[in-house]
Amino acid sequence: MSKDLNNSDLTVRLGAAAGDGIQSAGEIVTKVFSRSGLYVSTYNGNQSVIRGGHVWFHIHAGESRVYSLGYGIDFLVALTQQAYDEHYQNVNEGGAIVYDSSTVKAHDAPVGVNLVDAPLVKTALKYDKRPIMKNTVAIGVIAGLMGLDFKVVGDVIGEQFARKPDVQKLNVEAARDGYEFSKKFGVLKSLHYDYSVKRPFMHADYALALGAVAAGCRFYAAYPMSPASPILHWMAANSKKLGIRVFLGEDEISVVNATIGASFAGARAMCGTSGGGFSLMQEAIGQAAMTETPLVVVDVMRAGPSTGLPTKTAQGDLNMVLGISHDDFPRVIIAPRSPQDAFYTAPRAFNLAEKYQLPVIILLDFAIGDGGYATVENLDFNVPIERGKIVFEAGSDMHNGVWFRRYKLTEDGVSPRTLPGTPNLTFVAKTDEHDEWGHDLSDVLAGLKEAVRMRELQHEKRMKKLESVAKEMRLPELYGPERADLTIVTWGSSALPVREALPKLWEKGYKVNSLEFQDLFPLRKEVESMLKEANDLMDVEANYTAQFAKLIRRETGVLIQKRYLKYNGEPIYPIEVVKSVEAVFNEKEVKQYAKS
Amino acid sequence: MLAALKSALATLEIPPEKVVISSGIGCSSNLPGYIRAYGHHGLHGRPLPVAIGIKLANPELVVIVTAGDGDEYGIGFNHVVHAARRNHDVKLIVMNNEVYGLTTGQASPTSKVGQKTKSTPDGSFIYPLNPLSTLLGAGATFVARGFSGDPKHLSFLIQEAIKHRGFALVDAISPCVTWHDIYDEVRQRMYKLEDSGHDPSDLLSAIKRANEIEKIPLGIFYRTEERPSFEELVSQEIGREPPVQAVKRLSEQQIKSVMAQFY
Repeated sequence: MSKDLNNSDLTVRLGAAAGDGIQSAGEIVTKVFSRSGLYVSTYNGNQSVIRGGHVWFHIHAGESRVYSLGYGIDFLVALTQQAYDEHYQNVNEGGAIVYDSSTVKAHDAPVGVNLVDAPLVKTALKYDKRPIMKNTVAIGVIAGLMGLDFKVVGDVIGEQFARKPDVQKLNVEAARDGYEFSKKFGVLKSLHYDYSVKRPFMHADYALALGAVAAGCRFYAAYPMSPASPILHWMAANSKKLGIRVFLGEDEISVVNATIGASFAGARAMCGTSGGGFSLMQEAIGQAAMTETPLVVVDVMRAGPSTGLPTKTAQGDLNMVLGISHDDFPRVIIAPRSPQDAFYTAPRAFNLAEKYQLPVIILLDFAIGDGGYATVENLDFNVPIERGKIVFEAGSDMHNGVWFRRYKLTEDGVSPRTLPGTPNLTFVAKTDEHDEWGHDLSDVLAGLKEAVRMRELQHEKRMKKLESVAKEMRLPELYGPERADLTIVTWGSSALPVREALPKLWEKGYKVNSLEFQDLFPLRKEVESMLKEANDLMDVEANYTAQFAKLIRRETGVLIQKRYLKYNGEPIYPIEVVKSVEAVFNEKEVKQYAKS
Repeated sequence: MLAALKSALATLEIPPEKVVISSGIGCSSNLPGYIRAYGHHGLHGRPLPVAIGIKLANPELVVIVTAGDGDEYGIGFNHVVHAARRNHDVKLIVMNNEVYGLTTGQASPTSKVGQKTKSTPDGSFIYPLNPLSTLLGAGATFVARGFSGDPKHLSFLIQEAIKHRGFALVDAISPCVTWHDIYDEVRQRMYKLEDSGHDPSDLLSAIKRANEIEKIPLGIFYRTEERPSFEELVSQEIGREPPVQAVKRLSEQQIKSVMAQFY
């Protein structure tokens, strides 16, 4: 079988035109694998078009945990000529290309690749006047080639079309025809399927939403923007069941201000967007920092700048969130690596936001957000809920018996807060610089000695929270041997292809490990010594300027000069990491993907 | 204006802790610091979305926005139109002085044609925004205009706004004595709608009155309680505890039901 692959995983890629139902077909295949006891990781190569163009769906499935998109393609379904032309070169030896010679011309197939010419259109026309079910027929064909039990395939297709009873049975029959046809070719590659194990899968947008409600979030605000909209959709779909207030604002400015209002009132509130919307939220994020109102904002990154590539991935917003809004204020930046991480990131984000009364920014990206499903395991809903210092009883901390000492100077920079509705603790949350009781320093006191000193103290108090919260930030996770010749530094979703590249590199004899960062800012002090202990360092991330490497340089003084950077909108594949590490060891220039 | 708001809240006997005042930036927006209630002194133009978030999170609170014409008819007008359209149960009091006062006197969206300001030294040549007729067109369910020179009447309008089912706009003419003192002019041209036989349930008549140029009508232009507020609709739809009380983990049954979506 395939030389390039170990035999415990396989990859499928479905390619077609938008409108051919590729997303739905991809979901069906992902579900079939997940109900056969396999782990999955997927990528949705879609476009900003409703019909036409070229879209594809990639599925990596394995008997043990898979992290990224695997190596090459074992089974390519090419429903259009473009799908064939775009992807045939990546098909592995021993793999297969499923196509229909009545619509697609096969050419130049790589050595050892099986060409499976299947009557997809003719079969589909048996069931409908238009060959709309050809994708379903193709699913049947590859299911047969992979030696899957048709019962699972039929069940999943049946469920997928449950809302369209008139075509439900026809689709199952069309898939069965494809399955029967595949028998001519036999089973080309199969894994150990365990039909008694069903594994849940989701993308990070859903996982984050789930983690948020698990942590008591019942307020979500958004303005439609890819690839963050699935969070909105999930919250809206579950709003009645779980009592979630969903607010679709008139713009992102309204969205973030409403979220701040809800949080000020005492709710756990969150809002989400992508880069463009986040840009609009800038001023209000500084507002939350100044008024010391807890705030959780999600940026599901896509390639920019400006409108950029709305359905393509990037990690290019780190610099923006590091510097968002004017002047200095404390903020926390977390970038979950996977849907599994995203679930647990949400409760942490709320806890940090509330305990330290500051903005927490969660960076997801299209690759693991809207664009990629992955298996999640044993989600623990018993998440800690830590709301920090909230007082409900009036004490001595009152000015003239009227104003609560909301901005009290404290050791750790965190002042107790209270919630509107609490008797005898009224205060005004202030965006103007203020004293401990929330009185303006900006007007009649501005420039007076006492006010100047208070400005220093309040500014220092806010900034002190960075040191306090840093103690709760997590160190990067080490993958691979403790000592290595080369340590890869990576963050967020880029950690996954790196993790999948490591075994391949070890096989080839390279001593490599990786440090996967989720908590990007503030960095723990220990990060500096961890990096300095490494023999050599290489940075892998998805932006042009090595934004995280530069943050590390700024915060620790450690300069990482070896880099693999990708900024063309496509996700990083493990093979690219393998090749760039090889180049580093062979003292060649790392071939940056976009220049290849 | 401050006196009118205080007297309105006192007359309605709303306890201070139940009131949240969200304000923007400008001379008008320091108001929360002068009244015993919870306050959020936010960004220029954004107090309305903050107020909406507060009300959605905790519907028990009386949520009032106090801001200026720069805040609400300029930089933040988008929020006003949509808050009116959705009929959020928040009360918007705009201290309209027809000038950007705090920034030392530039033309605002409600500055009159011919008005001399620092940004229009030869007089403004742009027609002002008519917030009342615009909001009537946007589907506002309560539109009124008061005058800071008549705090008793203004207090009455604020009380009616607070009692209203949904979004209420009270445009409060509040002349800036430094940059655009029109107290005398307003006094000469104003009249009360309630003395003129105006029927506030008549939308067309309200639009006509809102477009009067020679005279300055004060009072309630339009009021309808036929449309439920956004918050009423949401709680009918969701029927659960408000977000402020819901900060807790999911029940076993809820976990089962949400996870079932992912197999």
